[in-house]
Amino acid sequence: MKKTIKTAVAAALISGVSTAALADSVFVGQLVDYTGPTAFVGKTYGPGIKDAVDYVNAHGGIDGTTIEMEQVDYAYKVPDAIATYKRWTSRNNMVAMQGWGTADTEALITFVAKDKIPVWSASYSGHLTDPTGKNPKTEKPAPYNFFYGPSYSDGCRAMVQWAASDAKEKGIENPKFLHTGDNHPYPNAPKEACADYAAELGFEVLPPVVVPMAPGDFKAQCLSIKETGADYAFVGNLGGSVVSLLASCGTVGTDVTYMANIWGGDYKTIEASNAQNYIFPSASPFWGAEAPGMELVNKIYEAGSMDKSEKPTHHYIRGICSAYYMMEAMKWAKANGGITGENIKQGMYATANWVPEGLEGVCVPSTWTPEDHRGTTTVSVNRGSAVDGKAQIEQIDTVELPRRDDWIGY
Amino acid sequence: MATTSLRPCGDFRTTYKDDQYLLLTKWIGIWTFAGIALLLAAPALFDGYIISLLILIGIYGIAALGLNILVGMTGQISLGHAAFFGFGAFSSAWLNSTTGIPAILTIPMAGVMTTAIGMIFGIPAARIKGLYLAIATLASQFILQDFFARANWFSGGSSGSLADTVSLFGFAFDSDQRYYYLVLFWTIVSLVAVANMKRSRDGRALVAVRDHYLSAEIMGINLTKYRILAFGVSSFFAGLGGALFGHYLGFVSAEGFTILLSIQFLAMIIIGGLGSVMGTMLGAAFIVLLPQVMEALTSSLFGMLPASMAGFAAGQAYIKEMSVGAAIILFLIFEPEGLAHRVKLIRQSWKLYPFSY
Amino acid sequence: MMNWALLSQLVVNGLIVGMLYGVVAMCFVLIYKSTQVVNFAQGEFLVLGGWVCLWFVTDMQMPFVLAFLFTLVFMTLFGILMQVVILRPLIGEPIISVIMVTIGLSIFLQSLMNWIFGNSAERFPPVFETESVSIFGLNVETAYILSLVMSFIIMAGFYAFFRFSKYGLAMRATAFNQQVAQSLGISVKQVFAMAWAISAVVSGIAGIVIGLVNSVSSSLAIIGIKVFPAVILGGLDSIIGGVVGGIIIGVLENVAEFVDGQFLNWGNLYTIAPFYVLIVILMIKPYGLFGTKDIERI
Repeated sequence: MKKTIKTAVAAALISGVSTAALADSVFVGQLVDYTGPTAFVGKTYGPGIKDAVDYVNAHGGIDGTTIEMEQVDYAYKVPDAIATYKRWTSRNNMVAMQGWGTADTEALITFVAKDKIPVWSASYSGHLTDPTGKNPKTEKPAPYNFFYGPSYSDGCRAMVQWAASDAKEKGIENPKFLHTGDNHPYPNAPKEACADYAAELGFEVLPPVVVPMAPGDFKAQCLSIKETGADYAFVGNLGGSVVSLLASCGTVGTDVTYMANIWGGDYKTIEASNAQNYIFPSASPFWGAEAPGMELVNKIYEAGSMDKSEKPTHHYIRGICSAYYMMEAMKWAKANGGITGENIKQGMYATANWVPEGLEGVCVPSTWTPEDHRGTTTVSVNRGSAVDGKAQIEQIDTVELPRRDDWIGY
Repeated sequence: MATTSLRPCGDFRTTYKDDQYLLLTKWIGIWTFAGIALLLAAPALFDGYIISLLILIGIYGIAALGLNILVGMTGQISLGHAAFFGFGAFSSAWLNSTTGIPAILTIPMAGVMTTAIGMIFGIPAARIKGLYLAIATLASQFILQDFFARANWFSGGSSGSLADTVSLFGFAFDSDQRYYYLVLFWTIVSLVAVANMKRSRDGRALVAVRDHYLSAEIMGINLTKYRILAFGVSSFFAGLGGALFGHYLGFVSAEGFTILLSIQFLAMIIIGGLGSVMGTMLGAAFIVLLPQVMEALTSSLFGMLPASMAGFAAGQAYIKEMSVGAAIILFLIFEPEGLAHRVKLIRQSWKLYPFSY
Repeated sequence: MMNWALLSQLVVNGLIVGMLYGVVAMCFVLIYKSTQVVNFAQGEFLVLGGWVCLWFVTDMQMPFVLAFLFTLVFMTLFGILMQVVILRPLIGEPIISVIMVTIGLSIFLQSLMNWIFGNSAERFPPVFETESVSIFGLNVETAYILSLVMSFIIMAGFYAFFRFSKYGLAMRATAFNQQVAQSLGISVKQVFAMAWAISAVVSGIAGIVIGLVNSVSSSLAIIGIKVFPAVILGGLDSIIGGVVGGIIIGVLENVAEFVDGQFLNWGNLYTIAPFYVLIVILMIKPYGLFGTKDIERI
């Protein structure tokens, strides 16, 4: 567990014996992965949340209330995450949590529902989107889980939809699709849902290929992929593993179009793997884009703790959005009975087509309802290629998926 | 080798019955009971954080006791203890959710299930010696871990499974304070059981197998039987500890039972002292408290450094990990017989003052 | 119907990667034979070699060949350092202590390297002109050809060293019986230090080669775990056995992947098959394929 500097301004107290309604500070826990297997993206997302909270604290807080946020680097070790969660609820009176990984977020679903603590995770697993268990396929209803952006399943569905139109353009008669990724909750999350949708759209769905999350030599797996004759391969991993996969498959001569999940696609991955025509989704503009909200993003970045030696990836911006949605919900809660977990949850339902103030054009308008925790089902599809070692990324499509009832929680 | 049966001179026993006592001197008995009284009163005296640490020490201590039977008393090396620990956790959760037997009963039942698995893995182990055995147990660790990640019906596959809260006749052990008593109960039972085993015939047979197995075989001790027995008993304690761990967290997943945990168990018994019951608990306490102490130390240390050295602060997580490895190495270089030996030396110097050396 | 083309390609891939496993297994057996120490930190030597070479190439802007040589020197010193500081105090301790020390060392080194070099994978800048050559229809990276060549050189070197040189003879004598060797005037401490130095250097080379192909990261240490089935197959005290074991494991992994991909679709056979085979071999032949049977005399 790693304690860093607490974001308390002078009035913040150390230990939480504050009643929710009259508090001048509330405690929020933040789980990050800076040293574990997903640190490749963790190191760019975590500071996004921290910087956003620091910025709001420095500019008046939530109508005067400061957010005391403790950041713990749990290195993706699930038991550590659970132990930290327990410590936060019993000793710190936590009211909300910024989570990180799929494994621990899915593990904590019932705990946070029982303790009534809303969680905004960096895991966009489809299993977190059904608050009432409406869909018979849902394993566990997740009434207190939120996330900003399209779910992994929706992201994969958007990729598949794009691939269907791409196959038609290229004249591929019987396009084949397969899923690659480790046997782990994070890559597994969209596997079934995506395969179903691909079959619906007329793809031949091939058996998935297991590729470990740790980098290594994947020539054997690539030979298998090449053998199957797949045209489109969904990349369920992120970071070093993707770099190794592309390198091994390039050597072996596997000719597929790679479509990534949202964490597997950013300029760093493309540059490190020298990828060509790499398709990946996003839920925010990229750094340096022209949008009114980017001004606030730049201010947050300048004042923040993020490493300034390289430009941030789009994950940083998504982190800021996630933090701002939480804070605006807290603001609503404060005005409507006090900042408690339950009220914050209600605050998430208060606005439809919601964009946080100051972030227009940056965060996709999202709507959460008590029966549907899919904030948005709009996915931007991008294509990136590494040219002379620099990534060139362009948006090629925007897929608006329907809010189908049989897709909730799945 | 750690020989725990040497008594210092001046400690005379004149009958066999005297030697059979678990608490060998009057003062040891007094300290033991005082310690138990203190532990019973702990939730009232200490805050929640300390209680959670004590629970972890108890759980890991039970599992480490099992490993100590295998490694310390029987001389077999096992690198797969975490897999059995995990098996206990998963089987308790599975039994509870599929058959509806209350969790308070599935905990010992999980221990029994793990015994069966341990004995199955012990059968090939009876033929293999030394290093080959260590590597075979390493392989079993990976195999079982892979099994946990794949077997959806048993362990929930890669997503893991939920473990219910334990309750006894409606009294739910759902808070740390209450769960502490359950763990304390099982810890004391395990400690007494293992100490008892050491003075029994089977315990002596195991020690004989460790010390010189050829002579033991000549004397009529069936090597295969006792080696398999050692695996079985050690797996029982591992499963028991694992089940307690699973119900404590409320969630069991395959990622929590890696080779690193096996190494930590080995570290516990080596740092504590091979073959020593009290040493096991000391070793478990050391391993559980080490990351906390390192974190407190490094926080205060880095707090004092100027901001320009912030790069070091990022290494806090790494320092904690390194400290486990460093502790193992340093203990093995400077105190190979473990904390139990150090405690004994301190006791002797206290007793024999001013003639201690 | 079997897909022979795929199978043959996978077997070639297995042979090439297996040579690397064999080289690492050889180092492992070398340390075990000479010093009776099981080196659980073998994987970390690989990673260290890879990182140091990368650091020389990128941060110090050296040409690759120079960086390679400097890394060899560094690994020699490192091996000697490890032996002097960590292992010497443990001469004579029971085997469990020795195993634990190397395990502790591996944990310590892993975290230390993560701290110093960062925990994300880094690629080497391109070193060879041609990226890959084609063998039997399978594209193989040039770095692996380098590794093949180096493996042969190393094995030949080992053979010549042990057979013909004075120091090699000293090592063989120490491995056979330490007391006798000492009484004949061989400095056992020197022999130990040499064994560790050689093992560190060769592992470092293997690490550089793999790093060239797959980018350097701490996950290279998994080879240190894969070396165990290899040495068990080959027998713990047979250097040739180590090489053979490594090749067998490499081929086995790829054949398992073939079976998995074509017929079973479980997804995990690539990683787990070597361990199943290990258990089976140990049940049939407790001392491995080439290991010397320990005849117990009363």
